Amino acid sequence: MIRILLIGIALTFIGGLLFAPLAMVFVSGLEHGLGAWFHSFTDSDTGAAIRLTLLTAAIVVPLNTVFGICAAWCIAKFEFPGKSMLVTLIDLPLAVSPVVSGLIYVLMFGLQGWFGAWLQDHDISIIYAVPGIVLATMFVTFPYVARELIPLMQQMGNDEEEAAITLGAGGWFTFFHVTLPRIRWGLAYGVILCNARAMGEFGAVSVVSGHIRGLTNTMPLHIEILYQEYNYVGAFAVASLLSLLAVVTLIVKTMLEWRTGIRHH
Amino acid sequence: MSITLEQVTKRYQGQPVVNDVSLEVAEGEFFVLLGPSGSGKSTLLRAIAGLVDIQHGGIALHGSDVTHVGVRERGVGFVFQNYALFRHLSIADNIEFALRVRRMKSADRRARRKELLKLVALEGMDDRLPSQLSGGQQQRVAVARALAHKPQVLLLDEPFGALDAKIREELRRTIRVVQRELGITTVLVTHDQEEAFALADRIGVMNLGRLLEVGEPHTLYARPATRFVATFLGAANLLLALQGPDGIRVGSTPVDATGRQAGPAAREHEVVAVLRPEEVELAADRDQLATRYVGRATVEEVQFTGALERLRLRLLDNLAAIQHGADPAEARIEATRTQPEQRALPLRPGDTVVLGARRLHVLPTPLSSFVVHADDDDTARALHADPVLATLAARMKTRVATRAGGDETAPQSAAPGVAVLATGADAPARVGQLLRAGANEVLLLTGRAELPRQLCIYWMDNAARGATLAVAASLLRHLPAEAICVSAAPAARRDARRAAALRALLDARSEARAAHALETRTELLAGEMPQALTDYLASLDTPLLVLGASNAAQATEMLEGILRKLPDVPVLLVYRETP
Repeated sequence: MIRILLIGIALTFIGGLLFAPLAMVFVSGLEHGLGAWFHSFTDSDTGAAIRLTLLTAAIVVPLNTVFGICAAWCIAKFEFPGKSMLVTLIDLPLAVSPVVSGLIYVLMFGLQGWFGAWLQDHDISIIYAVPGIVLATMFVTFPYVARELIPLMQQMGNDEEEAAITLGAGGWFTFFHVTLPRIRWGLAYGVILCNARAMGEFGAVSVVSGHIRGLTNTMPLHIEILYQEYNYVGAFAVASLLSLLAVVTLIVKTMLEWRTGIRHH
Repeated sequence: MSITLEQVTKRYQGQPVVNDVSLEVAEGEFFVLLGPSGSGKSTLLRAIAGLVDIQHGGIALHGSDVTHVGVRERGVGFVFQNYALFRHLSIADNIEFALRVRRMKSADRRARRKELLKLVALEGMDDRLPSQLSGGQQQRVAVARALAHKPQVLLLDEPFGALDAKIREELRRTIRVVQRELGITTVLVTHDQEEAFALADRIGVMNLGRLLEVGEPHTLYARPATRFVATFLGAANLLLALQGPDGIRVGSTPVDATGRQAGPAAREHEVVAVLRPEEVELAADRDQLATRYVGRATVEEVQFTGALERLRLRLLDNLAAIQHGADPAEARIEATRTQPEQRALPLRPGDTVVLGARRLHVLPTPLSSFVVHADDDDTARALHADPVLATLAARMKTRVATRAGGDETAPQSAAPGVAVLATGADAPARVGQLLRAGANEVLLLTGRAELPRQLCIYWMDNAARGATLAVAASLLRHLPAEAICVSAAPAARRDARRAAALRALLDARSEARAAHALETRTELLAGEMPQALTDYLASLDTPLLVLGASNAAQATEMLEGILRKLPDVPVLLVYRETP
């Protein structure tokens, strides 16, 4: 009886709070039919927003993946002074509000910022331009890969790597043939989370982007603008695309978890 | 020589884990490094492979120095305790890994793989993943993988650690067969003495980072040189015996014994004898005893273990002979008997028997037991609790007796064993008395809380050198400290005394190595004794001075000079009277 009650409460909650809004996004997007939905994407500004989002993710995700592997490797395999400090620093972007993350870059690279004058002299624009968006997104998505890999690599130990070296393998050979295959599922998981966040980030990007239509609007920013212009179909069409990405990400993630689960047993 | 280690030392945070180990392993030899956990044996093995760098010393493989050569270039085969197979690769890919690194052609790789799988009796397992094999099979794959690139040296780190007894034995046989077939030089690390006996051509026993003894299994078992090896290789009863001009006595009974025959001094002194449980003879009364009588005992415990019966006995007389613990009444003798022996004389707890020794082996160790000399109970208690003495007594499994003050003035009253005194202003005078009364070794304790990290060894004249080195070697088997032999000479380079002193030090080092398997550093101090020695001791972190002398007056004078400046340095005085 209690069991049914508890399950009922949980389902109602999930249904009301999570599923219904998600369904609402798709329903609203498709309100005027598939034609209108597709039509929304023919708008050149919408296309630009999608392209910018994809570009940002394409730059940020690989960079953060490489950084995450390096950081996890250092932290898991070596002892050095300041190690716990580094671990804390990696977590910093998760603790800081995204708006603050964006503001940091405005303070550094904005016109009144530390490097502002120098950047202007050399005709480099970072804030209110694509580099600023990339930087802010990178900052926010910094910890995802590293955090996923650190416990994994710590738990694995060095045995297989040591075995590879005694068998004559060099550093790169060992990394690509021994270490990488061992961490691949954890790494994929981290990359997916990193990507999801990179595409969906609103707060930090909103501060540095300047909301220039067709130039510095990412998908989340563009949705907000469309919404504020009472273009509900357009807003929900883009929103549903973003949500679709999230849903696909979650499905892939679940599959990976299932896969790793099998490997553990 | 296939593997040559020269004074290899590895420290972790200042503490030596491998301490001055020198060793030579011959071509094609199966060498087993045996020791308890934490003895440094695995670290030493990893140092040979290059997985651990060393702070001091050298490693050579097949005559070429590889001390500063990386792991890859050393090209040894290494088998890890937990297999360390590449879990994502098939057995075939695991075995071919080293060949793939070396860019061997695929057909050759396959041929080599088939050959190796046949060698370890795992044909047809090529396509399995490691997780689909049992532990024993995985370790076979690990052995095959380590052999793939035809290394000239195979190193195995506790390879059977995680396996159950039956598979262990099977795998042990496989490894022995493979090793014989390939004739590959092999070093295996284990804490299991049975495994060591079953596999080894020679065994090296390690404890506290030092390589204590190296030898063939039966020699090490029958004639160990140290307490540790005697008790670690099989069970052993350690007895205190007296060696006089006319042989060895246990208590009042003369016995036959192997080991040390000629004593250094004419006067009687205490020695440590090993009595293996299987060499204990039990009989109903003295007349039925075929061997020398040792004492009467009651049976405390009888344990049936299949082929053998294990007994614990408490000695009723001759208590002085036993030295298991500090309290002689706590001491027990262990004995094992075969089935026929059990049938001839069935025993039950509570029975009284007489005990004989079929074979007794005297250890060449110069330190037998300790006697605390103190004027009052407080001093005695403090000395008993001193970390140096407490550690030594516990690790040597020896007796610490107490003697009330004043006794040592009487002639011939120095009890056998090392005399222990509290350091202080009157210490040199009391040492003098003890030496005149017949003491051979005197330990002066300061109550310092730390165990010594350095053993500074100095002999005042060459007559005392041999004994000093022997005592230092014995001490170092029980204390994880560095050994430094010192001598002094004027700083001027041309001075002939300098050359002589240096030669004497080098002689001493080779003597220490040859006679006691002890590796030492040498330090030639500039200046005159005792000033140079006190300066040097003051520069050390937590030293203990081993001082050798053959003249009592000179010895006490030297002690006085050192103690006045450094009252907190413990000293072990080794005194050998020149005839």
